[in-house]
Amino acid sequence: MKSSLLLPRRYKIIGILLFIPSLVLGLFYRFRDFSFDFLTLNQSFKQRLGDKTINVDEQINLTDEFALTGLIVGLLFIAFARQKQEDEFIHHTRLKSWQWAVLVNYGLLLIATWLVHGMSFIDVMVYNMLTVLIIFIVRFHIILLRNKNAES
Amino acid sequence: MKNTIKVERAIQNITQQELAEKIGVSRQTINAIESNKYVPSTVLALKMARLFGKHVEEFFVLEEGD
Repeated sequence: MKSSLLLPRRYKIIGILLFIPSLVLGLFYRFRDFSFDFLTLNQSFKQRLGDKTINVDEQINLTDEFALTGLIVGLLFIAFARQKQEDEFIHHTRLKSWQWAVLVNYGLLLIATWLVHGMSFIDVMVYNMLTVLIIFIVRFHIILLRNKNAES
Repeated sequence: MKNTIKVERAIQNITQQELAEKIGVSRQTINAIESNKYVPSTVLALKMARLFGKHVEEFFVLEEGD
């Protein structure tokens, strides 16, 4: 079955190789305040404050930008990499898994909306950026694995 | 809908893998069809019919409620 939205099979490995280090980097950034110094940018700009103009020096660190980009791109590669034999059943399973993932994702988000309050909700939103992809990948592979191991 | 593809395979004396290769799908697909988890496309059903030398209705049968 022709499905033009898929990537070649090797992207699954590339995705995994991108995802794992990005995950480690992301977790260290989030929980250990880790960041690469060489990714720090200095920004200077003038800002008007009433009738005065002040110089603002700001530092931005791009560690989290790299981590999140790696996570998203890595997961996208894994999710959209072609299976060994991408036939109509795999295609069908793919679509069903996406549907399931979107529903479960928003179900979890609704639950979290009512259970998590204040600043902690920012964390929920951060994780939620990736959960659709993660749930899809897990669901899709569980179905394929279950079917592979089923008695023939 | 139920099917008797397993029986047809036995008549032809071919495995799931061999049937899969002959009609250009994965073994998983044959497995899913035989266990009624997946209804194949018309194209796939017709390919099987050609291989078995039978009409589609002879191995795909509608059930009550379909």
